[in-house]
Amino acid sequence: MTPLSRNARLAALAAALALSTAPAHASKERFIVDLVNEPSSLDPQVQWNPDSYYVYRNIFDNLVTRNDKGEIVPQVATSWKYLSDTEIEFELRSDILFHDGSKLTAEDVAYSVKRITDPKFGSPQLGQFDKITDAVALSPTKVKLTTNGAYPALLAQLVKLSIVPKAVVEAVGKDAFNLKPVGSGPYKFEGWQRGVQVSLSRNDAYWGDKGPFPAVIFRAVPDGATRVANLQAGTSDLGVTLDSDQAAQLKSSAKAKALIGLTERVAYLRLNTTKPPFDNVKLRVAAAHAIDKEGMVDGLLGGFDKPVSQLLTPASFGWIEGMTGPNYDLAKAKALIAEAGPAAKAEIELATAPVFDQRIVQAIQQQLVDAGFTVKIAMTDMATYLKRSQAGPEATSTLSFGRWSCACQDADGVLFPLVHKSSGWSAYRNPKADSLLEEARQTLDKDKRLAAYKQVHEIIATEAPLVPLYQAAVLYGATKNLQFKPTPNESMFLNRMSWVD
Amino acid sequence: MQGFLLRRAGQALVTILGVVTLIFFVQRLTGDPTYLLVPETATKTDVEALRHALGFDRPLLVQYFDFLAELARFDLGQSVVQRVPVLTIIASRLPYTLMLAAGALVVACGIGVPMGILLAVFRDRPIAKAASGIVLAAQSMPTFWSGILMILVFSVLLGWLPPSSTGDFSHLIMPSFALGLLSMATFARITRSALLDELSKDYARTARSRGVRTGRLLLRHVARNASIPLITVAALEISNLLAGAVIVETVFAWPGIGQVTVQAILARDFMIVQGVVLMGAFVTVLLNLLSDVLYSIIDPRIVLEGTR
Repeated sequence: MTPLSRNARLAALAAALALSTAPAHASKERFIVDLVNEPSSLDPQVQWNPDSYYVYRNIFDNLVTRNDKGEIVPQVATSWKYLSDTEIEFELRSDILFHDGSKLTAEDVAYSVKRITDPKFGSPQLGQFDKITDAVALSPTKVKLTTNGAYPALLAQLVKLSIVPKAVVEAVGKDAFNLKPVGSGPYKFEGWQRGVQVSLSRNDAYWGDKGPFPAVIFRAVPDGATRVANLQAGTSDLGVTLDSDQAAQLKSSAKAKALIGLTERVAYLRLNTTKPPFDNVKLRVAAAHAIDKEGMVDGLLGGFDKPVSQLLTPASFGWIEGMTGPNYDLAKAKALIAEAGPAAKAEIELATAPVFDQRIVQAIQQQLVDAGFTVKIAMTDMATYLKRSQAGPEATSTLSFGRWSCACQDADGVLFPLVHKSSGWSAYRNPKADSLLEEARQTLDKDKRLAAYKQVHEIIATEAPLVPLYQAAVLYGATKNLQFKPTPNESMFLNRMSWVD
Repeated sequence: MQGFLLRRAGQALVTILGVVTLIFFVQRLTGDPTYLLVPETATKTDVEALRHALGFDRPLLVQYFDFLAELARFDLGQSVVQRVPVLTIIASRLPYTLMLAAGALVVACGIGVPMGILLAVFRDRPIAKAASGIVLAAQSMPTFWSGILMILVFSVLLGWLPPSSTGDFSHLIMPSFALGLLSMATFARITRSALLDELSKDYARTARSRGVRTGRLLLRHVARNASIPLITVAALEISNLLAGAVIVETVFAWPGIGQVTVQAILARDFMIVQGVVLMGAFVTVLLNLLSDVLYSIIDPRIVLEGTR
């Protein structure tokens, strides 16, 4: 063998290796997204988890959507008007085709609404839409929804209601539709290799903004470190759910960058006001003063998240500019605890689950202990945590850490479940707060609603049944070529991304 | 042999039924998955509606007998999260785990057995000491750590191998090594002690005194006897590999049974967990039976119970 031919062989081998291990370099053609888990289901009405959301929201259209600024804007519906406090009529586009070529009509919209609101269907999302009592197609491009009472958060909820084709679902049935979903969105379902990947292809006949990538692959990569390695090795283009350390790691990478967005998710500490020691308002306020939100965010979360002093984020309707609450003041906390005497010494259980950031939970425990409380962390699996947290004041633990998002960017989805007495999540009893929340829920007048929410924020600040902590950030990793702005509702619309070479 | 097999099949059925019953009730002691399936904002009425739709509000015994009836028809039920038959899920994932376990076994035997021979034949020499150092290191490294380390070196730094997921053969290399290294150490240890044990026996000493060279002695005389403990270990190691696959599959995003099981446990997807446990019990029982049969083939002095 001559040296030349050996070199040629080596070069060929190297080329073959490069081809076999680095397919992602052609990512303009084929865009690869690493999720945490594979979607549990692609029927948009039978689940709610983020990994499914990320995928199916690109396959389906909704009546309305939120633009990048967070405003509710038309999608399938071009306009809407209230016929009365409980009736709303939508005018629909007439040029939308489902991926099977059939036309999207008002019948499909009415069918989709009725499907998800039918208790027998058993949609986990039922609670978000159960205020809707009826949906009627008035003409091929007009549909009327009826709610039981005025429901100001209706449009905010409809952002999540995907329109499915009536004829297809009825013809193939629920299970088959889940295996091969047909929507009208910017991407078409191509295939699902169970456990490996879901592939989509661009819908070139889409009526709105078309996607930048002809083919998109969503993979399940459970380990965060592996998602980062994939980006650094160039075998993926976008990875979701990084932690602050992993995002910081990407700063020095030549290939990848971190994309950070503040979400509508608010982290909070819930105090059970019906049990000692937090049946004493002084001790609740003491606990609020004991917690150093800035320290937690800067020291533990890499400074990506943002401290808040109301139980809401600026991304939601109902956020009041300039609200203040109990600030970090350890001396004041200690003084209040001393005033309360032996009542403060009771052992307190702080409930948490493994999905939450345990660094934060431990910091909260430490800060409360520093102030003079006796706090024990009670870790259970997520299902047990959720069940206990929703079991009402008697059964729920004295303290619990949580992160809340209604995926609706409206105060009604945050304050009502966490504060109103009718909700299992609330361990607080205050008739004034309850009536304010009801008032805000039952009027379509924005100013009245804002005024009511302002008062609720003030009650929370002085009575401290909950301590708002911070607005959570969402951290993605992406290749340097990708332009994408993470949104507060943690959606990932492929047709809002762009690629620069 | 037939009587033996029949008796063992009967025992296996009882064992599997026991395992299935245990997993059915133990899982349900922890509560049901309904709360994990609904958004946090769901009301109690929503939760109850979904629980009813999924059938978790029925008495436990009714659920159990329904499950057994379905099982008798080879129906493992439907995943409550994915709403897909459990058999479909297992059938789509099993090939990946088997592929990974086979790769790991090749790594474990391919390196472990020669290493064991080296350790036995050259014991007390520097080369054996170096080898035993390697074995010790392989045994001490936790899989999640060695896995991440391999990804960093071979994918991120050198760019030789794909960091995760499946595809061509190159995707299988790192996961196989990560999973196989632990078993490799076991194989090396067992091979070494089995060889030393056989080499110290009279027949081996006699052969050696007749001037039989080491290589021939190992191949012609000792290998067959020394392989009996190796078969036992291999059967046990395959079960271990299937269990160890959980971590490797997570680190390398390998879409096998281990990954799906972890997800199912976290989501309390009872049906999948039941299906996987049933399959695991079946495989373990089968492997044990197989190793017993293999003993008697390799060493005719071992007589299977009830075959004489």
